[in-house]
Amino acid sequence: MSTVENVGTLPRLGRLGWAFLPVAVAAAVLALLPPIWFGDSPFTTSLAVQALVFASYGVGFNLIFGSTNQLFLCVGALAGVGGYGAGILANETSLPMLAGVVVGTLSAALVGGLLSWIAVRRSLGIIFTGIVTLVFSLGFANLLLGQRDLTGSETGLIVEGVPDRLGDDTVGGYYLFAGLLVAFLIIFRVLQLSHIGWAFRALRDDEVAAELAGVDVARYRIYAATVGSAMIGLTGALLAYSAGFISPATYSFDRVDVRVLVMVAFGGLGTLLGPLIGAGVFAIVDEQLTASLELREVLYGVFVIAIFLFFRRGVVQAIVSLYERVFGAGEPPKPPALQASRE
Amino acid sequence: MAAGYLGESVIDDVDVEVRSGEAVVIVGSNGAGKSTLFRAIAGLIQPMAGRVVLDGKDLTRRPAYRIARSGISYVPAERHLFPAMTLKSNLHLGAYPRRADPATLELVYDLFPRLRERQRQQAGTLSGGEQQMLAVGRALMARPRLLMLDEPTTGLSPKIAQVAFEALEGLKNEGTTLLIAEQQVPLALSVADRGYVLENGRIRLSGTAKELEGNPEVQRAYLGVA
Amino acid sequence: MRAVILDGLVLGLAFGLLGVGMTLVYGLAGVINLAYGQIVVFAAIVISLLMEDGMSTLLAAVLGVLAAAGLSALLDLTLMRPVYREHGEERTLLGLLLTLGAAFVIAGVLTWRYPDGALYIFVDGDPISVIGVPMAVGSLWASAMALVAAVVLLLFFGATTFGRGVRSVIQDEIGARLVGINPSFVRTVIFAVSGALAGVVAIAQSMSGPLTVNAGFELTTFALIVAVVGGLGSVAGAFLAGVLLGVVNALSAHYIGQYITTIILLSAAALTILIRPRGLLGR
Repeated sequence: MSTVENVGTLPRLGRLGWAFLPVAVAAAVLALLPPIWFGDSPFTTSLAVQALVFASYGVGFNLIFGSTNQLFLCVGALAGVGGYGAGILANETSLPMLAGVVVGTLSAALVGGLLSWIAVRRSLGIIFTGIVTLVFSLGFANLLLGQRDLTGSETGLIVEGVPDRLGDDTVGGYYLFAGLLVAFLIIFRVLQLSHIGWAFRALRDDEVAAELAGVDVARYRIYAATVGSAMIGLTGALLAYSAGFISPATYSFDRVDVRVLVMVAFGGLGTLLGPLIGAGVFAIVDEQLTASLELREVLYGVFVIAIFLFFRRGVVQAIVSLYERVFGAGEPPKPPALQASRE
Repeated sequence: MAAGYLGESVIDDVDVEVRSGEAVVIVGSNGAGKSTLFRAIAGLIQPMAGRVVLDGKDLTRRPAYRIARSGISYVPAERHLFPAMTLKSNLHLGAYPRRADPATLELVYDLFPRLRERQRQQAGTLSGGEQQMLAVGRALMARPRLLMLDEPTTGLSPKIAQVAFEALEGLKNEGTTLLIAEQQVPLALSVADRGYVLENGRIRLSGTAKELEGNPEVQRAYLGVA
Repeated sequence: MRAVILDGLVLGLAFGLLGVGMTLVYGLAGVINLAYGQIVVFAAIVISLLMEDGMSTLLAAVLGVLAAAGLSALLDLTLMRPVYREHGEERTLLGLLLTLGAAFVIAGVLTWRYPDGALYIFVDGDPISVIGVPMAVGSLWASAMALVAAVVLLLFFGATTFGRGVRSVIQDEIGARLVGINPSFVRTVIFAVSGALAGVVAIAQSMSGPLTVNAGFELTTFALIVAVVGGLGSVAGAFLAGVLLGVVNALSAHYIGQYITTIILLSAAALTILIRPRGLLGR
């Protein structure tokens, strides 16, 4: 009778279920990785943790730049606000880890929101926003270096009060960050599917049109920046506890921002799993090239150029498009744009 | 030729011929495609079909700066002067890449005495009429084989427009070949030897100036005759 | 105090040239060249290698400047082609990203092959007294070079036909094309000129202290700050801003501290963008 129809068909997931399938798949993959691949090697585990950290940074960055076109070149600095906020609190007071994490996260959210508010108030375009946030990044690094007593300057800060099980080269630490990343992905997905996500897409497509359609561009930008910065700050704070030791280099522009930018662009700006894919690929590349830091730098440069020249929407998207064109009914190429003369 | 933007052609099947020493006028209302035609000839956009030939030389796919150096000077409706440079510098640059020939400069000043007065003024601060004169003067500094003018009377008072066309007549009499796009038809036909009527991207009519003046369609559409 | 200010002026002249190189390319091509500092370092390495081989300082310096100009032009002819197909903000953003990539490639290659690379031009001689302050001969040479470069630039833009052509492209590119100027060629030349300026900066800076292979990013940052404060696109503005910031840098470093000094300079750029985006002399 009624059971006959149900035999042999997939369980009905409903629209919501399908929407979160990618997140569920990612979570499953992440959960299974340690036992399959690297459970025993602290070195590989720490690489994996690093990849997760960067993927988490990436989701936050995706929310800020990928979704609302705000070029925040201060991901490292925001993470640093979270990390040093938590670290200094842990060392100067006897508050528990949770307090440090909360303070770090809120501070980063505040800073990020403030930067966005300033950019909105002064109508800064993408370039100037980039420069201002870059200036903030470098300024923050100098601040850390200058405040020797508080931050330990280049020698770094040891963060006390950390459970060993959550160290950044342990499986415990891995699952901590994996859980964090999945949580971020869920939040990102929820936003993507909500009216907020619609507003984001509208304002990215055509800011003026979105404004005219009633989208309060300014407000959405600040929201996105605040939430994204909170994510980044939270990750930075947890990293401080997990690693037990941080220095300005941990959160510097070269180490963090460039990597995050390339990674997310590689995986696909604005997409859900882009940061994860990008982080994964770069982790593998890093593992292969542990020998030469300089060669890695050269490779990054080549990647940056290649991505922004050929794979503007991310390598993943390029592969998907290729697949569609070969196997599916691809759309015919758009008519040639204005035939400007060759000068 | 056919030409347009973003894959859509604005003009199609347009064939224009200008003989040495004559003045040809392209007449048509806004949106008829006059500017598009001129831009395609000048090399600012590439035609979708057809060719541009000057004295037997095919100039079709050349970039704008090459066409300018080959002897076609184009004065667009927007003029595109160099606002922060002096009037004199603007004129000097007209002769690029050669150095400005003092004799030619004198010729331009004789043609437009107002320019001589305001030599050292910044081009951006000139009045509309003066800017138009400067634009034409700059185009002349290159001693072009063909001078193309797109709506030279834009923004000019009727009196100044009259003066402008008198100057153009003077140019023609000195042997400069002219191709002019104009909405003010009677003024244009007074100077022209021949003309074309462009409508919705196609040539509607063509003929000598006299023929066009006498044509009842042209009269009705453009000369305001009931 | 006078000594500090004079030191600041010497530094400021170098800053000025850095800023001019950066702003020239922005004003003309609409591109923020984040690889600029690396081009300075490149020039320094080339010169130091040539000098090690026994070449005279003068010849090495000239070749270094030419090499930097060449690298810069190469950058324009290759990487910038797709950038010029875009316009406005898109172009600036793409140019910024591609030059960032180029910066990493150049920095990586240089630090990989010459990890200890540095240029230090030691100029012999007793300190010369300038308004009562003893100045190192090297500093005076550096300042003289910078001033000569500035004057040459001024003459180039003001008096030559090509120079005027460059200005015209900045003011109205379509107008420039209509008078027969090839904006593409002009852009390549300007990139080369900015490269040559980078070479001059390398020489000038290396006279006061060793210019190491790692200095690239820092130099780019300074160039950007100076260009922004002066007004992106304004050559005179960049020069003025450079001198002012050089003096500020010297005063602050002397009386306050190193890290704060960098923060002050960075803040100058941020404040300019927030309060007066067109900078000191920009349009």
